[in-house]
Amino acid sequence: MALLLRTVARQGLCSSRLQFAVLYRHAVPMGTTAKEEMNKFWTKNTRLNRPVSPHVSIYKWSVPMMMSISHRGTGVALSSGISAFALAALVLPESYPYYLDLIHSMSFGPQFLAFSKFALAFPVAYHTFNGIRHLIWDLGKGFRIPEVYRSGYIVIALTVVTSIGLAAM
Amino acid sequence: MLTQIYVMFFMQYFIPSTAVLLCNTHLSRGLVAYQKNRDVEPFRLTAGRIHAASSHSTVSSSRAASMHWTGERVLSIVLLMDYSIAAALTLHGHWGIGQVLTDYVYGDVKVKLAKAGVLLLSTTTFFGLCYFNYHDVGLCKAVAMLWQI
Repeated sequence: MALLLRTVARQGLCSSRLQFAVLYRHAVPMGTTAKEEMNKFWTKNTRLNRPVSPHVSIYKWSVPMMMSISHRGTGVALSSGISAFALAALVLPESYPYYLDLIHSMSFGPQFLAFSKFALAFPVAYHTFNGIRHLIWDLGKGFRIPEVYRSGYIVIALTVVTSIGLAAM
Repeated sequence: MLTQIYVMFFMQYFIPSTAVLLCNTHLSRGLVAYQKNRDVEPFRLTAGRIHAASSHSTVSSSRAASMHWTGERVLSIVLLMDYSIAAALTLHGHWGIGQVLTDYVYGDVKVKLAKAGVLLLSTTTFFGLCYFNYHDVGLCKAVAMLWQI
């Protein structure tokens, strides 16, 4: 049907002309939204307990795939951290300097402290740099596969360097 | 005049060209004149005095006063930063978790519940961060202090 319409269009014939209306007179606008259709799909298939074809478990992992889910993972982790911090600020009785002094009094070794700073800085740096990569994609740039890999490696390199730099401060 | 100063200082961070404006407008000249006057007037006042021992301390006290004034503006910007960061983080996180929900949660009831839960979490987070900014050291200072352990 679509092929027929396209061949007709290619020959420069206007398909809105009345005599061609006969070709698509049976097409009516959809009665349901995409959301409703998806809900119907999921309720029917979970009710029938149908198995889902393996997808993430069998597809070969690639660097862009891993970076994408890491972006989501770091985002959720950072958001949870901020929410935990805010809730602690509301619930805990003492002030922030008190708890910092408490940590200070535990006298952790300098390597442990440096590693902790690295562990805090790493997700922030990664999410920020990959976020910039996303914004560049939103501008429409860098979608070719070699470019995707190149920008990905740059993000990883920047993340490691920045995290080490921040941990050393 | 003070509100103009606040606005100009604030705008510098959002529209870099206003930083140039701040350097060149009558406002900055007014600022310089304002400070110059504060330095000069004590001199004029002490010129008529018999003992001149206090002239040095009036200069240094007006220098301290102008530095205090600058410190107040810096603090205002930092407070602005604290609340802006709190707002930006919670909103970005709220929208982000919302996208995760849209990807993995199906069914009208479950979606509604999940979205309500996230809204509650985000509101509480924002309120908690603002509380921290007001009653405690503030976000920027908190990160600086944490890094100094």
